Amino acid sequence: MMEFSEIFFKYKDLITVAVYGTAIMLIIIGLYGVLLKKHLVKIAIGLTIMDSGINLLFVAVGYIQNGTAPIFSPGHEGDAIRMVDPVPQALVLTAIVIGFAVTALALSLIIRLYKHHHTANIDQINSLKW
Amino acid sequence: MVISPVHYIVAPLLAAFAIALLSKIYKNAARIVPGIVLFYNIVISLVLMPQVLEKGMISEVIAGWEAPWGINLVLTPFSGFLTTAVSVIGFAIWLYGYKFKVRLQGGEVKYYEILQMMMIAGSLGVIITGDLFNMFVFIEIVGITAYSLTAFYRHRDGAEASFKYLLIGSLASIFLLMGILIIYTQTGSLNMAQIAERMPMVPQTMKVTALIFFLIALGIEAEMFPMNGWAPDAYSQAPSPTSAVFAAVVSVAGVYALIRVTFTVFDVEGVHQYLIVMGFVTMLVAEISAVAQVNLKRMLAYSSLGQMGLVLIAFGIGSHLAVFGAIFLMLNHAVIKALLFMSGSYFIYNSDDKRLIGLNGIHKRLPFVSAIFSIAAFAIIGFPPFSGFWSKFYILIAAGDENMIFLIIGILMVTIIELVYYLRTVARIYFYKDEVEHTEHKPSINAIVAMSFLTLFIIVIGIYPNLITGYLHQAADSLLDKASYIQHILK
Amino acid sequence: MLKKYIIFALIAILGFYLASTFKEIPFGANRLGDLNDPETVSAFYLQKSPEDLHVANAITAIVVNFRGFDTLGEVTVLFLAVTGLTSILYRKEEEEDEEERLSIPSSSLVRTGAKILFPLILVLGMYVFIHGHLTPGGGFQGGAIIATGFLLMLITYKTFFTNHNVMTWLESIAGLGFVIAGLYGLIVYGSFLQNTAWTGNLNDLLSGGLIPLIYIFIGLKVGTELTSVLDILLNIKPRKK
Repeated sequence: MMEFSEIFFKYKDLITVAVYGTAIMLIIIGLYGVLLKKHLVKIAIGLTIMDSGINLLFVAVGYIQNGTAPIFSPGHEGDAIRMVDPVPQALVLTAIVIGFAVTALALSLIIRLYKHHHTANIDQINSLKW
Repeated sequence: MVISPVHYIVAPLLAAFAIALLSKIYKNAARIVPGIVLFYNIVISLVLMPQVLEKGMISEVIAGWEAPWGINLVLTPFSGFLTTAVSVIGFAIWLYGYKFKVRLQGGEVKYYEILQMMMIAGSLGVIITGDLFNMFVFIEIVGITAYSLTAFYRHRDGAEASFKYLLIGSLASIFLLMGILIIYTQTGSLNMAQIAERMPMVPQTMKVTALIFFLIALGIEAEMFPMNGWAPDAYSQAPSPTSAVFAAVVSVAGVYALIRVTFTVFDVEGVHQYLIVMGFVTMLVAEISAVAQVNLKRMLAYSSLGQMGLVLIAFGIGSHLAVFGAIFLMLNHAVIKALLFMSGSYFIYNSDDKRLIGLNGIHKRLPFVSAIFSIAAFAIIGFPPFSGFWSKFYILIAAGDENMIFLIIGILMVTIIELVYYLRTVARIYFYKDEVEHTEHKPSINAIVAMSFLTLFIIVIGIYPNLITGYLHQAADSLLDKASYIQHILK
Repeated sequence: MLKKYIIFALIAILGFYLASTFKEIPFGANRLGDLNDPETVSAFYLQKSPEDLHVANAITAIVVNFRGFDTLGEVTVLFLAVTGLTSILYRKEEEEDEEERLSIPSSSLVRTGAKILFPLILVLGMYVFIHGHLTPGGGFQGGAIIATGFLLMLITYKTFFTNHNVMTWLESIAGLGFVIAGLYGLIVYGSFLQNTAWTGNLNDLLSGGLIPLIYIFIGLKVGTELTSVLDILLNIKPRKK
């Protein structure tokens, strides 16, 4: 039975593509949703998918091979050598909360727009002309 | 306790959390407390600016960890100058909006005042921070308050404008995060000074990619073409003091972020040409669109975009005189545009027809406001003896120094276009006949004081520009001097 | 039609651009550098966190202390989001007819289960944010767990209401607590949010100086704010202030 690090080396390219590719695909799908969908709620969902994608990318970049969680629990006080990068994780904490706040605002605006125009199609809510 | 840059942020925060509690005890607390906080910001500026001008820069560490390990707040002559201007204009706008009759049309006053104060505090944060991710957080603060304030009124199309603004703003956030991520992986740091120091070691393709992402993201914030579609809608649908704050404070913060990142953090060649070209396109498209507008606030919004384009051109030219002119123009634009929005909204209150036709002959009912509007309009076109003349003059000279004749021709053409639509409006105010009888909302004393103060500034600086040119020269110097920025922070 | 294809093309270009950029960034490579002579911020944090701050969870140390200013900004963002939400969905008493909260009648299994689980979830949330400096978790995670508990009750019971006054008070006091803790650092030690010297021992509950205290404030604040957001969005009905 091979060790994890050996498996990692053998399929390194595949794992790289899988992880980065997923994150980038999420960003792309979210962007597609925001730019090309007509229904307001689908646009808001696209926004959350984009946020998830970029957060995933952040955390993925912070990974260090054979690393462990950056917590100095009892018995592991000297383990700083083997820990993953803690900074992207801290940044992602902030980014997730901020993304949540923006999504909440977007949803409340959708409620207001729906009550006013009685439709959730962005093409029909276009009273602000050029 | 010594006054330090962190007070710019802490005082509004304390007030914001406390207003919710205070307004249960004292009903009017929500209106008064922001005024106290903004006045305190002016006090901070007046205390800190002499120190900044003397020592060259103040860098304050947060949480006791020296830069680059912790976050630091930096006041250079450039950023200190901008924070002073923003504090003063913010206070003037608060004074103007003190008796703002929000309850006629919207929600509670408390929310409005908290959001507006935090928008100004967030912009101040963008200007004084020395850390990339911190800048992102403050840009988000400005964004959230701006989205909420744009949608404040019920019966107008505020929600639609706010939603569009929200979508474009979120795109900006995502691109900004991608840029920050790339920079972090290459340099291992998030501090602007340290990144600037390590930038030469970054491979060129990475650098260009990150720079493109930053330019897209900060271009959206700084209202550069083609990403400024959100601005006319947002400016015209927001309540009037908020439009003034957008034009004067938020755009200043956005342009500052863009300039700081391109000038200090990155060292890529060709950015200056890009700024000139995009600024030129922004200016042309915005000013030409302004002529076609029938709504006063939208016209003013497009005019703001045009002025920001001119500021970007001036920064792009890059010589000392050009940067000096750019900063001067930023200051002038903030004051004048705030004044235009303030006086313009009294016109809109007092006329039933929201289009420009409603302005016919309004000078009879609102003589003071009409005079102020006309003075501001002349100032922004660039007539002497108002302050707007000097900024355009210096920029034209700087363009001439670099032999950019097409720029001079472009700027003069745009000035003529501005003449057309501003003089058209002033002519409507004074020379057309007023057909209908209207109800009156005369400006209250606080609005008159605020507007007079800003007008006084325009006139006085127009006649004696040397009062502030010293500060402006130091500000321009500090922006162009990248090495001392790095050295001072990372000592 | 044409616009759709243009946007498709732009998105595809962006996707390829991103992919080619990130191919250059090796996955899992060690970017920390030397831990004893730190050059990158991560190495510095990993070194100082157990030594100077005596905090076991390095991410907590970063979020609350090293980059505490970002956290302050983020807490502000949440606060402003709730304020903005209230102002956008504000209802005057006479407008619009009353709307009830939408909920599907729940089975008795869900109702009993929710009643039992709700206090347990609250306790779990509080445990997570009180022990934020020792175990994975912290203020934000604990607050989110608390809000999930409230969400369970809000969905199950049509008549479960949260008390807005209590929420507002908790929120404001927690926020003021955070800023005052920072000011304490400013007044006593000379820089905002600086930690005290009493940092205890690594892995004790009372280690880390001000850090657990600030995280408790953040936990309470995030919990109440997320609950307020859920409450506002689920209840579209005039509220008595």
